[in-house]
Amino acid sequence: MASVKIEDLTFTYPNAASPALENISLEVGEGEFMLVIGPSGCGKSTLLRHMKSVLTPHGERKGRVLVSGRELDSIPQREQTADIGFVFQHPDDQIVTDKVWHELAFALESLGAEQGRMRLKVAEMAGYFGLEKVFYNEVSELSGGQKQLLNLASVMTLSPRILVLDEPTSQLDPIAAFDFLTTVKKLNTELGITVILSEHRLEEAMPFADRVTVMESGRITVCDAPRRAAEILYRSGSKMYYAMPAAAKLSLELGLDETALTVNEGRRLLLSMGLPKRRLPDKPAKARAAEPVLSAKEVYFRYEKDSPDVLKAASVELRPGEIMGLVGGNGAGKSTLLSVLCGERAPYRGRVCAEGKRMKGRFSAFDAHIGLLDQDPRTLFSSDTVREELEKAASHRENAGERIDDVVRLMDIGGLMDRNPFDLSGGEQQRTAIAIILLTRPKVLLMDEPTKGMDAGVKRALGHRLTALANEGIAILLVTHDTEFCAEYADSVGLMFDGGVIARAETREFFSRNTFYTTAANRIAGEVFENAILIDEVTEAVRGTNRE
Amino acid sequence: MHRDAFYSVHPAVNMAFFIFVMLITCLVLHPVIVGISLVSACAYTVVLKGRKALVFDLCLVLPFIIIVALMNPLFNHEGVTVLFYLWNGNAVTKEAVLYGLVSACMFAALIMWFYCLNSVMTADKYVYLFGRAIPTLSLVFSMVLRFVPRIFKRISLVSRAQRSIAPPMGKSAVKAARHGMSVLSVTVTWALESAVNISDSMRSRGYGLKGRTSFSIFRFEKRDAVMGSLLLLAFALSVWAVAAKRIYFRFYPSIKTVPADALCVIGFIAFALLCLAPVLVNLKENILWRLLKSKI
Repeated sequence: MASVKIEDLTFTYPNAASPALENISLEVGEGEFMLVIGPSGCGKSTLLRHMKSVLTPHGERKGRVLVSGRELDSIPQREQTADIGFVFQHPDDQIVTDKVWHELAFALESLGAEQGRMRLKVAEMAGYFGLEKVFYNEVSELSGGQKQLLNLASVMTLSPRILVLDEPTSQLDPIAAFDFLTTVKKLNTELGITVILSEHRLEEAMPFADRVTVMESGRITVCDAPRRAAEILYRSGSKMYYAMPAAAKLSLELGLDETALTVNEGRRLLLSMGLPKRRLPDKPAKARAAEPVLSAKEVYFRYEKDSPDVLKAASVELRPGEIMGLVGGNGAGKSTLLSVLCGERAPYRGRVCAEGKRMKGRFSAFDAHIGLLDQDPRTLFSSDTVREELEKAASHRENAGERIDDVVRLMDIGGLMDRNPFDLSGGEQQRTAIAIILLTRPKVLLMDEPTKGMDAGVKRALGHRLTALANEGIAILLVTHDTEFCAEYADSVGLMFDGGVIARAETREFFSRNTFYTTAANRIAGEVFENAILIDEVTEAVRGTNRE
Repeated sequence: MHRDAFYSVHPAVNMAFFIFVMLITCLVLHPVIVGISLVSACAYTVVLKGRKALVFDLCLVLPFIIIVALMNPLFNHEGVTVLFYLWNGNAVTKEAVLYGLVSACMFAALIMWFYCLNSVMTADKYVYLFGRAIPTLSLVFSMVLRFVPRIFKRISLVSRAQRSIAPPMGKSAVKAARHGMSVLSVTVTWALESAVNISDSMRSRGYGLKGRTSFSIFRFEKRDAVMGSLLLLAFALSVWAVAAKRIYFRFYPSIKTVPADALCVIGFIAFALLCLAPVLVNLKENILWRLLKSKI
């Protein structure tokens, strides 16, 4: 039996005012696929960590955790190691060794397996997870998706009966994330492994789950089959409803009898309504400034003399007050283009212009009024409190000190001023980082994967803040894999492929002509409303048509 | 992947080969031995790196040999056969010229053997060889190899981010130092956080339980045993010939050598086969491939 039963678990971190988990009771059956969702900081990770003794945090604990009918703490470590597999959030932070083959063998080595068995298990896992081609490679050569598959494979070498995964795809691009989740589902269906997965990516994960547990501030609010859970969240007006798959939102908001989960289900529901085809009216185009504030014109870049070009005639223009999204696969050159735009690297051909001035060679982003936000906002921090951080940033520009209050209000970080920036949550860290950058009075804000690892609520708040910044005249470039975020907040979107920006168009036009690089809403409704890209638009359009 | 056939032999055999060859090369200063060693090393570098190696051999090693060979007679005036006198009255002797040439070739051969060693003995092979003695050492080594490049990458990211929110430092050393300290401290914070996560991942996968074993991807096969024994035999024969003074060469005060006899010839042949082993292995594989291909 590989079931997990949690009985009335309450847990409080040392020195915390309120418990992180409150009266949690949960039963996960043998072979069940349980999805745990909830906003960041709701206690998902804390709960999952209670399912393996070595990971259980220190603090005050009441209640019991039973695995296969036995009290967890009474199960010997050796048995827990083998039977309960755990995969964490950050792919890089859980890989221990430098070679793929060594990492695969790590868990087996710990348990003292002999060479023959290790050889067999390692070979088996490398084959199953498609790691044969990279078997002898350095771990650092793998993509994020491959790294996370390696982590899963390394855990699977011990043939666990229970897999606990704590936001495993939050750092991956959508394609890699879907591959990973599919693999987990395959393990569940083919091997009958019990899966407990916490996720923000519900579009993909919801249809895989047998049941969904919704957590909000340390409590379980809903625990039901996915469709039912979506219905309950809709009816209760929960914040988590916003994170539901597009198809579910569509069917719930239109009050249909059946709740769809996947794109395909949503599409069929919509088609069965027999609506006439029509185009949605285009949004009035923003008045665009004539002069770009930052532009790159046909730039070429390569890292070494003999290596292939990473950027090939890449061109991009940013005008004041516009938000541009830049999407594209891994290795298309997105990050490199970003480093050329911020002056860190100099193209060997082509020109970069900031505020109409041609920049030669490498240049200072600060002098050119370009703000750069890395994937990891922690790279910007160097002080003990948020206040010091802001004061330090403001000291470099005249009169910037007066702006601190404005910036604090805009980014809503008034309550964090005396906290250590490294202790904040991901969303708070990002807000602080943007505030720091704003104090350098940028005219352009370059953001690398700003929505990575964020839950739906934080993403939405970020989107609103970026729109506000754009209204103040700042040009924003979002380099991202998050098509949904782009569709909602970007004015125009470019697709990067093979070192060049091959297509750039107004957001609606861009997404409505793509079949794959588009939003769930467009895939659901594209045949009826060809240029709909947001699920709210679709609902609105259906209602409108029905009214007529 | 390596296209060198000798690379795929067991690491212990790789290591033994380099130890044998380099020991004899640097301890037996005999023109024939040094010549054999130099030519074989040169051949192996070409097998390993192709045309790139020829550039290395001709542009770096050859000038090195010429310079060292010329230097010796200028400063060393031992030897009885005077060739001519220098402007300052010092004698240039035949012995010193020859000694310079031979020792230069010896150094050159060693440099080239190290060049080969570097490309054949990769880090994982060292870890495997020395890690067997101390199992945790191989894990620590592997973790360091993973962590150090990550830290450098992080440093460059942090440095980029921090430079982007401050005016350029110009040439001020004080500002540069302050920036460096700040980057370092942020990176250390990150590294500690990352280390906590890694330790969770390690404990979750049973690290710290008793009876840890060590997985190796190398297997000692029959061909490794055969090759190892052949190398050992060749080494033993050469050493025997040297120890019995049948391979003997004296430079000073006058050049003296022994007439070649059977043992001397056997010693030379054995050493030549030893040095050429990697090249021969490659040759054999190549021919084998051709034959197999022609049968298809």
